[in-house]
Amino acid sequence: MFDWTRFKARWLGSLFRRVVRGGDGVVRVGRRQIYILPTGNGLRFAAVLFVMLLGSLNYQNNLGLLFTFFLASVALVAMHHTWFNLLGLSVQARGGPPVFAGDDASFEVLIGTEGKRARCDIGIPAGETRHQSIAIPGGDCGTIHIARPTHRRGLSALDEVTVETRYPLHLFRAWCYVQTDATTLVYPKPAQVAPEPGSAAGDTEPRPRQGPEGMEDYLGPRPYRDGDSPAQIDWKAYARERGLVVKQFGGDQGQEVWIDWAGLTATDPETRISLLTRQVLDAAEAQVRYGLRLPGLEEAPGRGAGHLQRCLTHLALYDHVQANDPLQRAA
Amino acid sequence: MSKRTIPSNERPERTQILWVTLVLIAAYLPLAGHLALQISAFVGLLFAIRLASLRWPAVLPGTWPLAALTLIGVANAAVTYQGWSGQNAGTALFVSMLVLKLMELRRKSDIRLVATLIGFLVVVEFLFDQSPWLVLYLAAVVLGGIALLVDLNGGLGEARRRGAVAVAVRLSLQALPLTLILFLLFPRLSAPLWSLGLDPSKATTGISDSLEPGAISELVLNGELAFRARFDGTPPAADQLYWRGPVLWETDGRRWSVGKDIASTDPAGALLEAARPIGYEVTLEPTDQRWLFALDMPDSVPNGAFISPDHQLIARQVVSAVKRYRVTSALDYRTASPDPARLAAGLQVPDNVTPRMRRLVEEWRSRSQNDWALVQSGLQFFNRESFHYTLMPPRLGANPTDEFLFETQRGFCEHYAGSFAVLMRMAGIPSRIVLGYLGGELNRVGGYHMVWQSDAHAWVEVLIEGRGWVRVDPTAAVDPSRVDNSGASRMLGAGPSVRFTLEQADAIARFVRNMRLFADSLDAAWQDWVLGFSVEDQLALLQRLRLGELREYGLVALMLAALGLTLGILVLASIRERKPLDPLQGEYARFCRRLARIGLDRLPNEGPMDYAGRIVAQRPDLAPTVERFMDLYIPARYGPGDPRDTLAALADLLRDFRPRSRRQTSAKRFR
Repeated sequence: MFDWTRFKARWLGSLFRRVVRGGDGVVRVGRRQIYILPTGNGLRFAAVLFVMLLGSLNYQNNLGLLFTFFLASVALVAMHHTWFNLLGLSVQARGGPPVFAGDDASFEVLIGTEGKRARCDIGIPAGETRHQSIAIPGGDCGTIHIARPTHRRGLSALDEVTVETRYPLHLFRAWCYVQTDATTLVYPKPAQVAPEPGSAAGDTEPRPRQGPEGMEDYLGPRPYRDGDSPAQIDWKAYARERGLVVKQFGGDQGQEVWIDWAGLTATDPETRISLLTRQVLDAAEAQVRYGLRLPGLEEAPGRGAGHLQRCLTHLALYDHVQANDPLQRAA
Repeated sequence: MSKRTIPSNERPERTQILWVTLVLIAAYLPLAGHLALQISAFVGLLFAIRLASLRWPAVLPGTWPLAALTLIGVANAAVTYQGWSGQNAGTALFVSMLVLKLMELRRKSDIRLVATLIGFLVVVEFLFDQSPWLVLYLAAVVLGGIALLVDLNGGLGEARRRGAVAVAVRLSLQALPLTLILFLLFPRLSAPLWSLGLDPSKATTGISDSLEPGAISELVLNGELAFRARFDGTPPAADQLYWRGPVLWETDGRRWSVGKDIASTDPAGALLEAARPIGYEVTLEPTDQRWLFALDMPDSVPNGAFISPDHQLIARQVVSAVKRYRVTSALDYRTASPDPARLAAGLQVPDNVTPRMRRLVEEWRSRSQNDWALVQSGLQFFNRESFHYTLMPPRLGANPTDEFLFETQRGFCEHYAGSFAVLMRMAGIPSRIVLGYLGGELNRVGGYHMVWQSDAHAWVEVLIEGRGWVRVDPTAAVDPSRVDNSGASRMLGAGPSVRFTLEQADAIARFVRNMRLFADSLDAAWQDWVLGFSVEDQLALLQRLRLGELREYGLVALMLAALGLTLGILVLASIRERKPLDPLQGEYARFCRRLARIGLDRLPNEGPMDYAGRIVAQRPDLAPTVERFMDLYIPARYGPGDPRDTLAALADLLRDFRPRSRRQTSAKRFR
């Protein structure tokens, strides 16, 4: 069967001009990148106008002609307004917070006008549901939130968005394809259940936690790493110009677990990663110190939101074929 | 059947439903006067249901009641107008169905469809009425529809409703020049391509193709306009304006008619002699007849018409809309002799001729040497005897001609013309009756003559050897003292006709009359330039642009060029984004320009304070003005408060600030 969507994506799509990013990462919609076609409503409007024209011509009714011409002129002017509504827009997209595979990745598209002209009904079509549309005052900008479904871990790129408008009369639809570099990090989808990390490796069982005050044990300072909670920063040290130092608290060293690629038996690497993700989440919830070991990569034991994020990022971007440091590649 | 769910942003809002209902009601109102009461009742019921449903949604009919309502609507229109054909029936059906659509506005696109079809409804309404007021009213309605479309599209941000109306107004204003170009230059059809039987079924008043006692006097009481005529040169005197219409040959003693054998559609030959030509333009109100009115005798033929052997101007199509045409008539003329069939018809005498009529004619014949002298005898008879001219003649019995001539002697032009023609025929002089209008009221405001239905007239033409057909107006022979203008003429709603000289010395009456003339000249302009604008006018316009030989192609080319140019201007005007400079910055820019002139340019990275400091260091002589300027400018620009207060002071300061470069000043000093 003829698949229109695929045909459009593969063949027709290559015919359309894309609006590419400028040097500052902002896309400016030029006049040659705007496409415009009548909507279904516009075609109906044209059909009614045609009947009005024929009737008025035939009965030599000048007033009928006058109104027919007026409506046709309004449509003609409206077509230009539709087109203008996109012209000169600046579009910039950025990714939202990381999500787990299967959830919707969110993106923010910032659309601004540089001139004084206000824009109305600027939208981004989102699948079956009609686009949400915004109005942008002159010289200002607005934000459209998009959600894209995710299926795989890694970086989900927004790639291309269609910016469209039907302003002012919904008779014409003007649109342009805007290329973006926005990405959202997609963590692996955690498995439903995963074996205890320590037990599989034959390590000693983690002792039951001694209580919440165990957290208060001061372990010593260490240099700041990305993602560390501001609450843990030694601000007094910072004030003495010793740099950003994090005060490490922790429980017993015996509660430290290693979440290890080698500790799992599943053959499919994606299944392993999914199990590892569950283990990391479980460990974080149990508030134990945990480290992550992947072939060619090791994350020293730690805890806290920053640590969790780092581990999940490793898992999200881990390339088990190349097995080199994914963080370096990503950077 | 599964109902597809409608996305929330496709569902119409209540205000939008209310809006479309109100616009449709407004669009329907002018039609209510033209359609039958049953139609308005049905439509009104639907409007009421729709409005009530905004408050109580349960009122809205479901699928089956809606189907029933549809059937009722169709049947209602069919029963009211006995079928589907005709303008009224078609309009009634369309309106009923359109209003029914209001019952199911599930999606925004349903409202869009209704709004689009309101445009069609508006055009249909112009089949009924074409007054300028209706145009203004419906323009407002259409504007409301456009604003509704803008609002339905949404995405306007804050200030929604006002924004929608503002956008609609802006679109409309920009569309106006394009509309004008299209209206002027879009090629028209000179004849209809088809007829759907949408001709107005209402009776039009005017002269008919027969004459019986009472026919014209009825018309004279009608206050409507028949046509307007604009003369190229000096118009003839009003009592010489015989506007020629149908020519009647056949009579049964009571009624005059065209005569089946005579009625001809063949064009005739020209006049034998024609002098004193006069050109004029006539704007004829619809008559639903084919004849056009022209002064005695029409000589040139407008497009789409011809001159019959009876010297009637006849259009090839029924005049169902306002028609404008140009004619040249010869005020002095000699016609050719008619063919034998017409000659015979011109001598046909009805059966009800009485002996005293015969005696009268024989007496005239014995006194006269020739036909023309006999005609004069006949006219003298009407003048001498106690004939009265009155709008309200006594009723006549079985033999109206005899009764009028010898008993009542009171009548209107139809009585005079009818009896005179019969008498002439009895005398052996071929004669016929011409129907038309006499006179016309000069509208000094508009510079044209208005001819009213009340100017309807009938006169006689007799065939005189060597002269052809000669016009004789027996009504004019009546002694003016016996013209009765007291009673009936008061009923004349429209203008005073030539035959009744109404005294209007009264200032108020004069004022009212002038106002009426003014209003009529507006109406005439409307008729000429909007309603009657035709292919001929377009080609005349083209001729004036020296593109006449291109005809329709020239029109299309000119239209496209003008459209493109106008659109281009509109587009450029919208593209250009003026950034009005803040007036305060403007003053600062002026200040900088003045200093740049003497070589003290502001560096791109210099703020006002650094710049001022540098100037003062280099040119201490300028320090007072520069410092004063900065004292005013910096707080106004960067501080709180209204900067407009200091604007005037800055402008004052700069007016006399013309710094000269040092070399010039020093040169002066040492001279």
